[in-house]
Amino acid sequence: MSGPSRAKRAAVAAVVVATAGAAAFWLLTAPRPLAPSAIPAHTPDLANGELLFHAGSCISCHRPAKGTPGADPALPSGGAPFKTPVGTFYPQNLTPDDATGLGRWRPVDFVNAMTRGLSPSGRHYFPAFPYPSYRNVRTTDLLDLFGYLRSLPKVVSPERPPDVPFARVARRGVGLWDLLALRGPRFSPDPARDASWNRGAYLVAGIGHCGECHTPRNLLMVPERSRWLAGGPHPSGEGEVPSLRGLVARKRYKDAADLTLALQNGETFGYDRLSSGGMGEIQENLSLLPDADVRAIADYLVSLPQAPVDGAGAAPRPSR
Amino acid sequence: MIRIKRLSVASALLVASALAAAPLSFAAQTATEAIQARQKAMKGIDGAMESLVAIAKKQAPFDAAVVKKAGETIASHLTEAQGLFPAGSEKGDVQTWAKPTIWSDGAGFAAALKSSHEAATALAGVKEEAAFLPALKALGGSCKHCHETYRLPKR
Ligand code: HEC
Ligand code: HEC
Ligand code: HEC
Repeated sequence: MSGPSRAKRAAVAAVVVATAGAAAFWLLTAPRPLAPSAIPAHTPDLANGELLFHAGSCISCHRPAKGTPGADPALPSGGAPFKTPVGTFYPQNLTPDDATGLGRWRPVDFVNAMTRGLSPSGRHYFPAFPYPSYRNVRTTDLLDLFGYLRSLPKVVSPERPPDVPFARVARRGVGLWDLLALRGPRFSPDPARDASWNRGAYLVAGIGHCGECHTPRNLLMVPERSRWLAGGPHPSGEGEVPSLRGLVARKRYKDAADLTLALQNGETFGYDRLSSGGMGEIQENLSLLPDADVRAIADYLVSLPQAPVDGAGAAPRPSR
Repeated sequence: MIRIKRLSVASALLVASALAAAPLSFAAQTATEAIQARQKAMKGIDGAMESLVAIAKKQAPFDAAVVKKAGETIASHLTEAQGLFPAGSEKGDVQTWAKPTIWSDGAGFAAALKSSHEAATALAGVKEEAAFLPALKALGGSCKHCHETYRLPKR
């Protein structure tokens, strides 16, 4: 008699545990968007928006697929394949077309996408979209960028869903990952450093999303803050990414001026380590920034000691 | 009898495995040699770039003779490189940064080598300072194009 009842109790317990687990999963992975009231009134500065568009290399992922009839490759109308170890994405249309682009998006929708990885309907984006870095961008800068995107010509280019197995369930699971990856504080300037250094640190940690490739990740694919920009396996799974620490001590560059020239000209000036693994595109986008901003990035990078030292103050401020 | 049989089986196995291994190790050796040779060619190119970059950065004056020599050196290394990516050299005993796309898209890779060679030859013929920087940028752009598509990044 005790047999079946024990089995029954075990079954009930399993159901309870599973239900609790599912409920916990559901609660933990629930989207937590910003409310529209969190967005300040702001008149967008379109020139600043364009600068951020280049600094963020938006075009490199959101360009039209090669050979799309009539498509202007300079507009982020989306659709070109972006291969990742998880599957192939076709990053969407960022032009202000109502039906297929950002035409109906409110500023808060854009800020939620860029800083929380959430779509207007509350879906989680995959971190193939570098929102874990973009969350370090100031809200007013994001509104300038949004204003710039809204000033572009409208292009009709419908979304193509990613070729990712079990994408729907996986999206919900990304919510769990976000809890880990978006846990730390956002970028804040270091008052002990000068303006150029802080500008460089802000561009590198935020819109430039340099850490997405240059910072190694742990087993959960979360970038390791203690090894900020220390290099590691390439996130695409092919090849490796060099360290951006100790660039002068290791004689990669003579000084910040040399690194500035490298970032502006890349291999067209014979700097041979700025082409492969997607860096060529990043460099081309950086070359469109004002001289002072590229110099700021260089000033910040050359200040990073070769080895990230353990203990307080070791990791540069933006990674904390 | 049995002993002899065993011995002959053993030696037959030995011979067979030696025969099987021979073409393998031969291929591995040539692959390794090809990888080393092409990396040496690329480093030679890089060395020749130095004098050109010094002119571009205005650390050295424009000198048509220096430009000619560097351009020709680069062009000859690129000609040499044509034969240094044989099928089977995707891997060897030393690390290579050549991407498998070199062998799946042989025509694209050959075209990238050819256009880089043309850019090096054009640069070698530059006589006036005004034409130098555009020619160097065209050459550097051709290296970049190939490295973006056909080279893996390293640490
Ligand atoms: C490394 C590639 C990459 C870069 C660089 C990138 N994106 Fe994306 N972006 C993606 C991917 C992939 C998605 C889709 C994610 C998904 O479907 O889960 C996406 C989605 C988006 C979305 C949501 C679109 C929609 O219709 O739901 C917005 C908005 C966006 N990106 C804006 C930007 C902006 C602005 C920049 C430049 C600052 C940028 N992205 C740079 C890869 C990228
Ligand atoms: C898509 C991944 C990716 C992103 C994003 C990225 N990098 Fe890179 N970076 C690379 C790879 C890969 C290389 C090595 C390229 C090669 O070997 O040709 C590299 C090389 C470099 C180098 C040369 C290092 C050396 O030893 O000479 C510098 C400097 C650099 N990146 C700076 C940056 C900066 C600054 C940013 C952000 C604005 C950035 N990178 C963003 C992938 C990336
Ligand atoms: C058609 C393609 C192609 C062209 C053109 C090309 N390269 Fe390369 N390069 C490669 C490949 C592939 C590798 C990696 C070789 C390997 O590791 O087996 C490489 C490697 C290199 C390396 C690293 C060598 C090492 O092992 O440390 C340097 C430096 C280099 N190239 C410079 C140049 C320069 C400068 C130019 C232009 C003048 C150039 N390359 C043109 C394909 C090319």
